[in-house]
Amino acid sequence: MDNLRENTPGLSKIKKENPFRVPDNYFDDFPARLQMKIEAGKEVVPVPENRIIQLLKPAISLAASFALIFLLVYWPLKTFLPGHIAENSTIEVESYDNENQYLTLLESIDENSFYVLLNEPSATVEFSDDELMNYINANISEYEIYLGTD
Amino acid sequence: MDHDDRGIIADLKQENKKNLAFHTLVNKYQERLYWHIRKIVMDHEDADDVLQNTFIKVWKSIDKFREESSLYTWLYRIATNESISFLNSNKRRSFMPLNNLSEYLVKNLESDPYFEGDEIQLKLQEAIVRLPEKQRIVFNMKYFDEMKYEDMSKILDTSVGALKASYFHATKKIEEYLKNTD
Repeated sequence: MDNLRENTPGLSKIKKENPFRVPDNYFDDFPARLQMKIEAGKEVVPVPENRIIQLLKPAISLAASFALIFLLVYWPLKTFLPGHIAENSTIEVESYDNENQYLTLLESIDENSFYVLLNEPSATVEFSDDELMNYINANISEYEIYLGTD
Repeated sequence: MDHDDRGIIADLKQENKKNLAFHTLVNKYQERLYWHIRKIVMDHEDADDVLQNTFIKVWKSIDKFREESSLYTWLYRIATNESISFLNSNKRRSFMPLNNLSEYLVKNLESDPYFEGDEIQLKLQEAIVRLPEKQRIVFNMKYFDEMKYEDMSKILDTSVGALKASYFHATKKIEEYLKNTD
């Protein structure tokens, strides 16, 4: 203490007292106010979330992640690279359509249609007279030829 | 540990006696803790908030109290940490630069309706709030509360040697401030 007086004469001159005060009855009222605050805190205990939602949370998160990846990756690619994706899709569709059309055509074709097709100017298939005669002899009777040229 | 404190702690850990024991603890320590907090945050309203938070923390964490330290040092440690956290959150909320904390505390002091010191007391408090945070806490605990360095060491988790050095630097700075503002 003497050491403090020697080294800090200015501080030593000041009377050591508490210059602060509190409102009247502060310490008398404090325990009751504190109790009220603790009780209020107990009342607002957070309600636990619905158990089903908690169980589904991982699945929902996964689905949301896939949706997000789709939005962020697939959709922009499709939008910004339309040529590439359209080309791939079209090829598949076209080949599928051609195959179907061909099968349908074969199933529905009859001899009459065959002659009509032969007479069409757009028909580009070329065959010799011998080949044609051979086909007619093998597949079509004279009566049918008569009916067809009626 | 104080015999009464042992009884309080034992009762706090029993559900049927907890409320009454807590009431006893609050009545016993509220004034000492309030003044400790008030000297750190300066303003009465702030000190009131911090004191409530301190006791709420005590209420919630009494089961974790290991009884390795005394109840008194445990309570002081919580009060000190709560006061420092309060000042730090205030700093963050108001985007206050580090060196502006003392200005904020001086303003609090000058506008505090519950400060009734004379001019020299105001000057001393202004000198104290301009100290770095740790030195300010050490100075208040030693100078005003006349606490033993060993107890301070347990509360602040700092060696006795470092506390003595802090106190020495704090008194030198205060002395200089008082001399320069004469």
